[in-house]
Amino acid sequence: MYGFEAMTFNIHGGYLEAIVRGHRAGLLTAADYNNLCQCETLDDIKMHLSATEYGPYLQNEPSPLHTTTIVEKCTLKLVDEYKHMLCQATEPLSTFLEYITYGHMIDNVVLIVTGTLHERDVQELLEKCHPLGMFDSIATLAVAQNMRELYRLVLVDTPLAPYFSECITSEDLDDMNIEIMRNTLYNAYLEDFYKFCQKLGGATAEIMSDLLAFEADRRAVNITINSIGTELTRDDRRKLYSNFGLLYPYGHEELAVCEDIDQVRAVMEKYPPYQSIFSKLSYGESQMLDKAFYEEEVKRLCLAFEQQFHYGVFFAYMRLREQEIRNLMWISECVAQNQKSRVHDSVVFIF
Amino acid sequence: MVVDHETPSLENGQTDKEVEENANVLQFMDSMDAYLTLIHSLSSTLRRGWLELASARHSMGASRVNTVLLDHTSHPAATSLLVTQDEGKVDSGKPHFTLCKWASSSNENSLLGEKHSSQDKLHPQLRHRGSTELYEEKTSSENKASREVDDPVQKERSKSLSMFGTLVSPKLRAAQLSFEH
Repeated sequence: MYGFEAMTFNIHGGYLEAIVRGHRAGLLTAADYNNLCQCETLDDIKMHLSATEYGPYLQNEPSPLHTTTIVEKCTLKLVDEYKHMLCQATEPLSTFLEYITYGHMIDNVVLIVTGTLHERDVQELLEKCHPLGMFDSIATLAVAQNMRELYRLVLVDTPLAPYFSECITSEDLDDMNIEIMRNTLYNAYLEDFYKFCQKLGGATAEIMSDLLAFEADRRAVNITINSIGTELTRDDRRKLYSNFGLLYPYGHEELAVCEDIDQVRAVMEKYPPYQSIFSKLSYGESQMLDKAFYEEEVKRLCLAFEQQFHYGVFFAYMRLREQEIRNLMWISECVAQNQKSRVHDSVVFIF
Repeated sequence: MVVDHETPSLENGQTDKEVEENANVLQFMDSMDAYLTLIHSLSSTLRRGWLELASARHSMGASRVNTVLLDHTSHPAATSLLVTQDEGKVDSGKPHFTLCKWASSSNENSLLGEKHSSQDKLHPQLRHRGSTELYEEKTSSENKASREVDDPVQKERSKSLSMFGTLVSPKLRAAQLSFEH
């Protein structure tokens, strides 16, 4: 029952909640980002990061550094923290933590399948997979010719198996089918995660419902904008939206028929939480939409830490770290390309 | 007073040879200026393209936009130049330049897009017999042709982006256009 978590949560979850709140304190601040934005070279960035929690992961990297190296090492730190928390967690927290990684698993599956379709080397593809989404038989994905084989040979023994029931066909894997598979899997995963959190109840259900609904709505907007001008039909676009969220179902019906960014804006401005996002954009512009959504997401994730005795802090921490890594990637790219005037285009401050 | 008949002097005391050399130097400087302008334009377009690619990677994620998915094999450029001799026209014998957008290398006869660039545009002050009506006809046919080739050109663009997925961010399409230019 909501409100009594304070009596029992700390028995199994107290230690890890303290751990994750400690990790949260190590997130980069606005002062750190200001220092990083003034760096002239990637070695300067490495020097500034050596004073942060990323220091031990970057100190042994030789010069000249590459932006992908910085991103890989920062991701490695996140993976180590996650694995430490997972091995200490008991049920149902351990299942909750595993759910957080299923999105990366889906991305890795699609990467391997897409790369194999375009005749890329499997070993190189495996190196580009996200470490949080790895599983034992992932390399076997390269031999599948259609979704039925994909499921039968590899995915039946993975946590993604239940999500495949909606997209198992014997059709060959081509670009459009892979895209539909990606979005269908991700929708099924989000809905399953949502139901799991509802089952947990209490503050976890309340906070995670809001965060997952926001994620579903953002995906709906991105799918709409990315499909404008493509051969994806309105019906197919509608099928890629999730079955929950603030926009479900009427917002989805209107988004499905949008033909340009201004029509998307007109739909989204009917919903007060998203009115503030689109008010930051000028008409016809979609370049800053990603940053606006990330800023809103960071605001909601930070609010998750205002309450105790729930699992939402773990999800919020993982997402905040991923946002931090995105920031570091963008700053590194701007420094490497000598485009420092554009560095604030995509950096989202967390604190 | 001795008059040198072999090198007639001009008003400024310059010979024909010096005038010609000056004209050549001026033409060289103009060409160099045009070249530097083009180099600067190319450099800024490439810089914009690389930044847009980084922006697309930031938006779509490193798993969807990375070096492994890029096609490192050689393939035809987005724009190629076709030089032909016009036959049966008034000024036959002069080369005719055609810019082909996304021409298929496997089938050279199926040009997916054409943008005619005749010598009229290179030297607009030169006029050809009946060029006014001909130019107007060419302009209207170019507009019609440009609308007709838009779809195949868009298809080729989508095909080259297919390795990143079917639903890609507008930032990736913008990067593609920058590199195409």
